Amino acid sequence: MTDAAQDMGGAGDRQELWRDPGFGALFALPGAPLLWELELAGPGGVNRIGPAFFGGLTAALDQIDAAAAAGAGPRGLLLSSAHRDLCVGADLDFVAGLTDAAAVFAAAQALNAQLRRLETLGLPVVSLIDGAALGGGYELALATHRRVAVAGPKLQVGLPEVNLGVIPGGGGTQRLPRLIGLQGALEVIAQGQVLRGDKALSAGLIDALEPDRAAARAAALAYLRAPPAGAATQPWDRERARWPGPQPDSELFRNLVVGAAAMIYGKTWGAYAAPAAALAVVQEGARLPLVRGLEVEARAFARLVVSAQAKAMIGTLWHAKSAAEKHAGLPRLAPGEADGVQRIGVLGAGMMGAGLAFIAAKAGYDVILKDIDQAALDRGLAHVAAEAAALRRLSAAEQAAVVARVSGTLDDAALDGVDLVIEAVAERTRVKHAVLQAIEPRLAQNGLWASNTSALPITELAGPSVAPDRFLGLHFFSPVEKMPLVEVIRGASTSERSLARALSVCRRLGKTPILVNDGYGFYTTRVFAAYILEGLQLVAEGVDARLIEQAARAAGMVVPPLQVFDEVSLRLGRHVMEEAARYTGRSLPAAEALLVALTDGGPDRAPRAGRAEGAGFYTYADGRRQGIWPGLRLLAQTLGAGAPEPTLAAVSERLLLAQAVEAARAVDEGVVIRAQDADVGAILGLGFAPCTGGPLSLLDQDLAGAAAALCRLEAAHGPRFAPPAGLLRRAAAGQPYRDDLRR
Amino acid sequence: MAEALLFDAVRTPRGKGRAADGALAVLRPVDLLAGLLGDLRDRAGLQTAQVDDVVMGCVTQTGEQGACIARAAALQAGWDLAAPGVTLNRFCGSGLEAVNHAAAMVASGYFELVVAGGVEAMSRVPMGSDGGAMLDARSVLSVGGVPQGISADLIATLEGFGRAEVDAYAVESQRRAAAAIGRGLHKNSLLPVKDEAGLVVLDHDEHPRPGTTLDSLAKLKPAFAAMGRDFGLDKLVRMRYPTVERVEHVHHAGNSSGIVDGAAAVVVGSAAAGARHGWRPRARIRSVALAGAEPIIMLTGPIPAAQKALAKAGMSAADIDLYEVNEAFAVVPLMFSRALGVPLDKINVDGGAIAYGHPLGATGAMLLGTALDSLEERGLGTALVTLCIGGGMGIATIIERV
Repeated sequence: MTDAAQDMGGAGDRQELWRDPGFGALFALPGAPLLWELELAGPGGVNRIGPAFFGGLTAALDQIDAAAAAGAGPRGLLLSSAHRDLCVGADLDFVAGLTDAAAVFAAAQALNAQLRRLETLGLPVVSLIDGAALGGGYELALATHRRVAVAGPKLQVGLPEVNLGVIPGGGGTQRLPRLIGLQGALEVIAQGQVLRGDKALSAGLIDALEPDRAAARAAALAYLRAPPAGAATQPWDRERARWPGPQPDSELFRNLVVGAAAMIYGKTWGAYAAPAAALAVVQEGARLPLVRGLEVEARAFARLVVSAQAKAMIGTLWHAKSAAEKHAGLPRLAPGEADGVQRIGVLGAGMMGAGLAFIAAKAGYDVILKDIDQAALDRGLAHVAAEAAALRRLSAAEQAAVVARVSGTLDDAALDGVDLVIEAVAERTRVKHAVLQAIEPRLAQNGLWASNTSALPITELAGPSVAPDRFLGLHFFSPVEKMPLVEVIRGASTSERSLARALSVCRRLGKTPILVNDGYGFYTTRVFAAYILEGLQLVAEGVDARLIEQAARAAGMVVPPLQVFDEVSLRLGRHVMEEAARYTGRSLPAAEALLVALTDGGPDRAPRAGRAEGAGFYTYADGRRQGIWPGLRLLAQTLGAGAPEPTLAAVSERLLLAQAVEAARAVDEGVVIRAQDADVGAILGLGFAPCTGGPLSLLDQDLAGAAAALCRLEAAHGPRFAPPAGLLRRAAAGQPYRDDLRR
Repeated sequence: MAEALLFDAVRTPRGKGRAADGALAVLRPVDLLAGLLGDLRDRAGLQTAQVDDVVMGCVTQTGEQGACIARAAALQAGWDLAAPGVTLNRFCGSGLEAVNHAAAMVASGYFELVVAGGVEAMSRVPMGSDGGAMLDARSVLSVGGVPQGISADLIATLEGFGRAEVDAYAVESQRRAAAAIGRGLHKNSLLPVKDEAGLVVLDHDEHPRPGTTLDSLAKLKPAFAAMGRDFGLDKLVRMRYPTVERVEHVHHAGNSSGIVDGAAAVVVGSAAAGARHGWRPRARIRSVALAGAEPIIMLTGPIPAAQKALAKAGMSAADIDLYEVNEAFAVVPLMFSRALGVPLDKINVDGGAIAYGHPLGATGAMLLGTALDSLEERGLGTALVTLCIGGGMGIATIIERV
């Protein structure tokens, strides 16, 4: 058999030389010249970088050095994985537990030393990237001389660290720019990008893309068998090494860095430490030899890893989000049991109903989309068709099949025998009761009824139901095609089995669930209302609306409150305010007066009710938002506003704490079942500042300080800021909400 | 305290700061300064062995302007080896900083005679080509900072100066400069630049555009809109000015200071040093001041600097006969006028950097010389010279004829 044939044949004839069960194994490959394979085979079927990985890598490199010293070393090394992915990156449980910057720095430098050994063995090293090479996993691949990847949907390469509040700590900020140049590297590093397939190839993150693992392996081994000159030397270790593109400290380089700084600021508004640090270490390491650049990176990495922001982001955006995606701790069907849902009826063909019909059909359900108005139904069906046509990964036939799974109707009878109804009609209890009474009898036996209400208590809505144990809330977020969250609401009578069945459907729809108990506004809508109403209240007090919006951005909120208020419409806001006052007994008279003045208009003022009507807190031209309406402050002043202008920081604090205290109240009232769900729900559903880890993580970062701040805000601005008893108790006891996290 | 007296002030003409067609671009920066120092020595009868220091401002101290160009120029000019040299950088305030530094040394009694000034050949050593501690990611994202033009447009936005006002200011600057040149205001101070063969390379300011009108300026596109809007640099101003939704870009090449080459030198000394040379002083320094201000808006420093200098001199703004407020951008003197209540007909009466150009390190010393010429021509007594400075600083000097 030729070497090439052997290489195509996979790994069968290789000879194991060494193995570390916590890391992987070394093999001698048949054929000449002698090649070795370093196959990562971490425990649990996953390769993660932690202490065991570090020890294993060190020992493996010792083996290679020893063989070379004995004159029996390999002429090339293939880095591969025994698992689905090459390496998914750092062990985040390990990283989250690190609290000592000196220890983090030492650990990063120790890993850097081993990766440096790998790229300076004096023999070419090729990494075979199948599946994910992310974060530390991609940094490992960067310390090899060539990256050959396997095409396919599971291929992911990149440096997503900034998304979790840290930067690459294994040389990524130093090697990638030296490999592909400043601009391309900054896009990946400072934006935390993960690339796939051709994009990874054209960006230079991988050197070759092969159709399957066998072909990739063959290509890698062929390269190692006949390596070109210099194949064992990294570009940055060559004589007179130059960067691709602008050279370090050239005028263009500096201008690009300043441009990137502006871009980062315009996206993060100073709320996130990691993207700025990533840019800084790229620039500051650029003039140095690689090894000293690695030190610059490791120092910034250590600072960030131990920061409260990184802990909070990892705790929610990684741990809690992953747990929610896995439905950890949620009601489940028995193994092998089916949820019994094949046909779904969607009531109401508005934006939400049509979107739900589309995602359900895409997930393979047969959908009956019902409305009472033919024009609305036609618009809904057109929406389904348009969304299906935009599914680029599907063939035309597959797209047509998605569309065909949705049938529209005006006739209740068409819903006969559906297994699940998702009701998305007008937010009026009376209307919802009417459709329940008309359509519930048509459900299949054991059929489920889910209301997509965003606020109305499920137990009340289930009042007329003949089977309230099969009645629950499934609160999806708009646009449902994009928003990942679903808030699952347990009514007073909802059975665990119904929840389990509904959650099974959510899983198939690809939505990330949080489970909450019933109550007005449940959880997310309460927090959302607290946010936009605080924004409104600030305007009513006479605060410059531009300051309010910027304070929200600077606090990390994804969308500022008045902008989002315009999106949901001021009329809906007025309705929500009235309802909220009814349920909570709290009101904001000045805010309400302003809202009435805006939505009603006046003798010399047209109504300003939000974006859909072309005027709101903002002005619009051709549907595009222009800027805050210049007359807003004057209007507030004529209604009696006149407080001194607060600082940006004071406004940021109010906007965040107004939401956090609402979340804390929802905990006290038993609406929130698990704190991590509250954090995940606020971030995924509402765009609550991801840099905080969510409202409860925000409180946890300084419980006593938050309690004191809330008491101060209560005294200044009213009872909506009053810290609930549970928060005061936790502050006194030092007992965080997020007890799921290691600290 | 001894008095710091001004005995003479000279300057090269300002050449267009463009390698393609600027007359002075064929000479090294050190040639501009050395030629001027040589001519100054010859016309003033300066005993260069008595010069305690040569203090020169130069902003872009890299390449041909690196490594202490003041000493290099004194040596090349053939000055006595005993005359040392120092080059300093206070950005656009450097030329005046050199004068103030000289004045402080003389007033303290440590030094008797100092030649101060500055040089900048922007055609050969482009602005920003030295990089810098403020031009990196961490500074921009922690301290804050934007290119000066965006700062100028930010002032216009916050103060409500529209395009029409800044353009009208620029037209007037050109008109005043043309009138001054026509009257021969600069003839005593402007020394032609010659090459090694003694041929005149440039004997007049090359940058003024006397025919400038509102209509001709209206055709120019805002210079900082692209970097501000397209590259997102405008957003950086919100770090300190959170309510600025949009920066109104009003400045362009026609209402901003010109990029030019040039050098200037001022003789600062004690009465005793003057007596030894047989000179009559032209003026004395009444007070000097520096101020720091917010670095993103950057250009507001002249206001606190002038107020500080006035307070030190025991004067009010109205006591000053003429003001030289560097026209880095049209909005700077407009803002200064509004803040201090000084009418525009007392500010830059013979035109400013919009017409003549702004050779960064030399400008402060040039403005001081122009102020002297303008006072003498009009028979007036006091002038205040001030410049806005990168990093959010301002510098001011009050002089009084004697």
